[in-house]
Amino acid sequence: MKPVGVVRFLGTNCDQDVFDAVAAVGLKPKWLWYQDQFDRRDLAAVILPGGFSYGDYLRSGALAARAPVMKSILDAANHGTPVLGICNGFQILCEAHLLPGVLLKNDSLRFRDGWVKLRRVGEASAFCNVKESVHLPIAHGDGRYYVEEDQVKQLFDDGRVWWRYEQNPNGSLDSIAGVLNDKKNIAGLMPHPERAMFSYMGGTDGRDFFTSLAL
Amino acid sequence: MSKNNESKNLDEKLKHYRLSREEYERMTSLLGRAPQGVEWALFSALWSEHCSYKSSRVHLKNLFSQSPHVLVSFGENAGVFDLGQGERIAFKMESHNHPSFIEPYEGAATGVGGILRDIFAMGARPIALANYLAFGDVDANRMSTLIDGVVRGIGGYGNCVGVPTITGQTEFHRSYNKNILVNALALGLFREGEPVMSARANGVGNLIVYVGAKTGKDGVHGASMASESFDTGGESKKPTIQKGDPFYEKLLIEGCLEVMRAGIVEAVQDMGAAGLTSSSFEMAARGDVGFKLDLDKVPLRDSTMTPEEILLSESQERMLLIVRPENFEKLKAVFSRWNLDAEPIGAVTKGPHVELFWHGELMCRIDPKILTYQAPRHERPFDKWLPRHRVLNIQEPSFGPDRGDRFDQQTPNELLNILTSPLGSSRAWIYRQYDQRVGAKTIFDCDESVGVVRLPDSGRQLGLVLGGRPHVMRFDAYVGGMDSVAYPALELAAKGFRPLAVTDCLNFGNPENREIMTEFVASLDGMNELARASSTPIISGNVSFYNETMGENITSTVTTGLVGLGDPILDESSHLPPRSSFQSVRDELYIVESAQLIFTGLQGERRDHSPSGQGDLRAKEVAEFIQVVRHLSLSRAVRSTRVVGKFGLPYALARMCTAQLGARVQWQPPSKQNWFSETLYQVVFAVDSDRSFEWRELFNKLAANLNINIVRLGEVSDGSLAFEGENRWSVPTVKLRQAYETPWEFVP
Repeated sequence: MKPVGVVRFLGTNCDQDVFDAVAAVGLKPKWLWYQDQFDRRDLAAVILPGGFSYGDYLRSGALAARAPVMKSILDAANHGTPVLGICNGFQILCEAHLLPGVLLKNDSLRFRDGWVKLRRVGEASAFCNVKESVHLPIAHGDGRYYVEEDQVKQLFDDGRVWWRYEQNPNGSLDSIAGVLNDKKNIAGLMPHPERAMFSYMGGTDGRDFFTSLAL
Repeated sequence: MSKNNESKNLDEKLKHYRLSREEYERMTSLLGRAPQGVEWALFSALWSEHCSYKSSRVHLKNLFSQSPHVLVSFGENAGVFDLGQGERIAFKMESHNHPSFIEPYEGAATGVGGILRDIFAMGARPIALANYLAFGDVDANRMSTLIDGVVRGIGGYGNCVGVPTITGQTEFHRSYNKNILVNALALGLFREGEPVMSARANGVGNLIVYVGAKTGKDGVHGASMASESFDTGGESKKPTIQKGDPFYEKLLIEGCLEVMRAGIVEAVQDMGAAGLTSSSFEMAARGDVGFKLDLDKVPLRDSTMTPEEILLSESQERMLLIVRPENFEKLKAVFSRWNLDAEPIGAVTKGPHVELFWHGELMCRIDPKILTYQAPRHERPFDKWLPRHRVLNIQEPSFGPDRGDRFDQQTPNELLNILTSPLGSSRAWIYRQYDQRVGAKTIFDCDESVGVVRLPDSGRQLGLVLGGRPHVMRFDAYVGGMDSVAYPALELAAKGFRPLAVTDCLNFGNPENREIMTEFVASLDGMNELARASSTPIISGNVSFYNETMGENITSTVTTGLVGLGDPILDESSHLPPRSSFQSVRDELYIVESAQLIFTGLQGERRDHSPSGQGDLRAKEVAEFIQVVRHLSLSRAVRSTRVVGKFGLPYALARMCTAQLGARVQWQPPSKQNWFSETLYQVVFAVDSDRSFEWRELFNKLAANLNINIVRLGEVSDGSLAFEGENRWSVPTVKLRQAYETPWEFVP
C-alpha cells in the first residue's frame, strides 16, 4: 500500500504522535513538509495533525492554510484522496475552505483538555470503519464549531456532519465535533484519535480511524 | 568634588546596581582597580543572588548528588540521570515567583519557557511538564487575577510548544498573599545515541552563534530585580518582565535538537536570567577560555538599545551556541529551515578575558571567573534547629481501630467543608486547561497522584511527582525538608515506582533574616538526609530568596520534583499501576504505616490553632517504609493505593471514593487526636479479596523486623463512606464527589 502523508507545518506538535499512530496499525507514514509540494499519486491518504501552526497567529490555521503544501493537498483532495485534519488540522482545512464553517474560541474562553464521548452521525469515504460511539481525548482552545444557521441544516441533511459530542465541551453549534466535504473524502475532527491507540493511553477507540485507511 | 560627595555618588551607584559596599571592595580588589562603565552592570547581574547563589552556595555544596547513574548534576543547565538501556533523562525545576506576581500570565509563561530551554540545551527532548503553585487566600487582593493569569500563562505556553503537563501541586496560604510561588519543572528524554550537551565553551577560534528571537528591552535588570524584596512599587517593575513566544520556542527546540544530533554544535546555553551576560561569561568560565564578542552584531528588535541593555536584556527564546567555523553553514541551513536566524557574534579566544566590542571599539575586558566563580559567598548567620511545635516522643504510638474518643456531630459536615474549600477541593479546573496528552506517552494524567509517561523505546513507565508541603514546613522546617522528599517518594512507591532522583526549588524569604536562614539550613538538612537515606540523589535545582514583601516573608517552602521508574508496558496485557480511587466493591482495605510523627496538620490551621505534634522522623525508617510500600504496590492483588496526607485518613478515603464506590471502615482516630490530624506516614491499600491472603503473606515477609504495621480497615462498598465503631457516621459518595468537584467561587 502507498504511504500515508503526515503534514508538518511550523508549530505542528502532534506530528510525531500521528506518524507513530499510522505506523502502529501497520501502515507506512511519510513526512510532508509545509514548504514542499507532493504528487498526489504517491500517497494513499493525507493527515494534517494538531498543534499550533504559526503559533495561532492571526487565527488558528489561517497562515498554514496558505502554505505551499496546501496546493498539493487541494489537488489530492479534488482527486478523491482521503484527507483528515485533526484539531489544528481541522482548523486549517476550514481556513483553506476545504471544509465548511469555522472553529471559534471555546465558549469558556479557556483551553480545554479531557476525554469526551462522541456519536457518529455521518459516513466518511475513508476513516470510516469506526464504531458509532467512541471515547477520545480533546485538547483545544479554539474548538467551537460554527457555520451559518441556514447551512447547518443542509450539512445534516447531506450527511456531512461526521461526529457530535454527547456532552458539548466547547459550545460547538449542535455539538458538532467533526464534518465532511460534499464528496466525503475530506474530514475534520476536533478530538485526537492518535491519543487513544492503546489501553495504557486510557482507551483504544482511536485505532479504527487509522486501520480503516487500509481497507 | 569633595570626598563626601564622592562617597555619596558611590552609594547611589551601588544602590542603582543593587550591590553592597563589601561587594564593591571585593570587586575593586579582584579587578585591581575600580569598576568602570558597563562592568557595573555585569557585576550587578552576575553577583546578584539569583545568578550567584551567594547566600546558599556554602550550604548547597553538601547536597547528596552523587550516584553512578548521575551523569550530570549541578553546574550545567540541568541534571542528567541514566535510566539504562540507552535511555537518559534531564530534569530540573525553577522558580518564577517575582515575575508572576507582577505580571501573572507572562511571568508564568516565561517560567515554563525558561525551564524548557534548560532541558533542551542539554540535548534532551522535553516530554513532560509539571508545576508547583502557591497562592494566597483566594479572596486576597488581586489573588483571583493572579491565579487565573498564572494558569492561563502555563497553559498558553506549554500547550503551544506541545509538551504535556502531567502533574502539579497547588497550595493556598495567606503567607503568599503578596508573593505567590510559581515553580515549573520540565523533564526531557535522550534516546539511545542522542548526545548529552554541555554549556562549556571550547576550541579557540570557534564561533559564538546567537540563535532565536531578536533582543529587545524586555527584562533588563530582571535578575537583580528577582534578588530583591518587593516594596510597594511592584507595578513600576512591569518593564522588567519578559514576554514569551511559545511558537518561537517550539522552533528553537526542533532546530537545536537537530543540530545537536547532527554533531555540528560544540556547546549550548540558553540566555536566561541576565541574558547574554550570564550565558557568555558562564560558558567562558566553565570552559576556561576567553570570548571576543561584538555586541553590535546581536540581532536587535530595537535599534536604540545601548550595549548595557543588550547585555542585560532577558528577551526570551534565545540560545548561545559554540560552533566550529567549518560547521557554521550547515548549522545556519538547519535553523533557516526552522525559520530562525543564526548570527555569529564573536569567537572563542585563548583567554582568560572576555572582551566586549561595540562597533570595533573595545569597551570592556574582564576575566569571566571574577564574575562567576569568584562571586561573593556569604555565610549568613543561622541557629541550630530546635523543634518548637512538637515533642519528640510519641507517648502512645499505637494506632488502630476502636480507639476513638471525642466525636463531634459536625464531623461529617466538616469533611464536606474541607472537600469544598480551596485547600481540599479538586484542582481539575486548573489542569483541564493544560494539554496532558500531547506526545501520546501519558499513562497517568493530573487526575492521578503521580504523572506517568511511557518511554517509547523500552516501554518502561516513568513516574513524576512534586513534593513539598508548606503546612508541614510551618509545623517544623526540618520535618518539612524531610517530607519534601519522603512524601512524593511514597507517592511514587505507592504506584510501584522506584524513586530515582530529585530536583528542588528552595523558596525562602530574606536570607539576611536569621530565622529565615535557620529554616533554610534546617530544611535543606532534612531534605538532604532523606535523599541520602533513600538513595535518591538531588541532581538539579534552584534557590529563590527574598520572597518577602514589606517585611513579610512567605512560608519557607521547599518544593521538589521526583522521578521514579516502573515496569515496562510492552503489550495490551501489561499490568498498569494501582489507581488512586476505588476500583471494585468488596476489595479489602488496609492501612500500612510507619507512624513516626503525628501532628495537627492542615485542619489545625483551618481552625487557627497553632501547630502541635509529637514524634520525630527517622530517615532510615522512612526509607525502609518507602521500599516496603513499593514492593506491596507492585503486587497484582493491589487495585488502589493512596498516601494519607493533608486532613488525615477521612480525607484520603473520601478522595478514593468515586461517584459510586465508597467504603465501610472500622476506624476511629487515636485517642487525643482529631479526626483530621495527620500521621507521617500511612498508605491505604485496596486489595482484591481473592488474593488478599497472599498479599498479607507478602507484607509479613517484607515488614519482618521493621517498624511497620498493618491494620485492616474494612472494605470497598457501594454508595457511601461509612465509619463504624463507637462513633458511627457516614456520607453518601455522591455528596463527597459533589463537594470535591465544586470549584469555589472563582470569578476573575
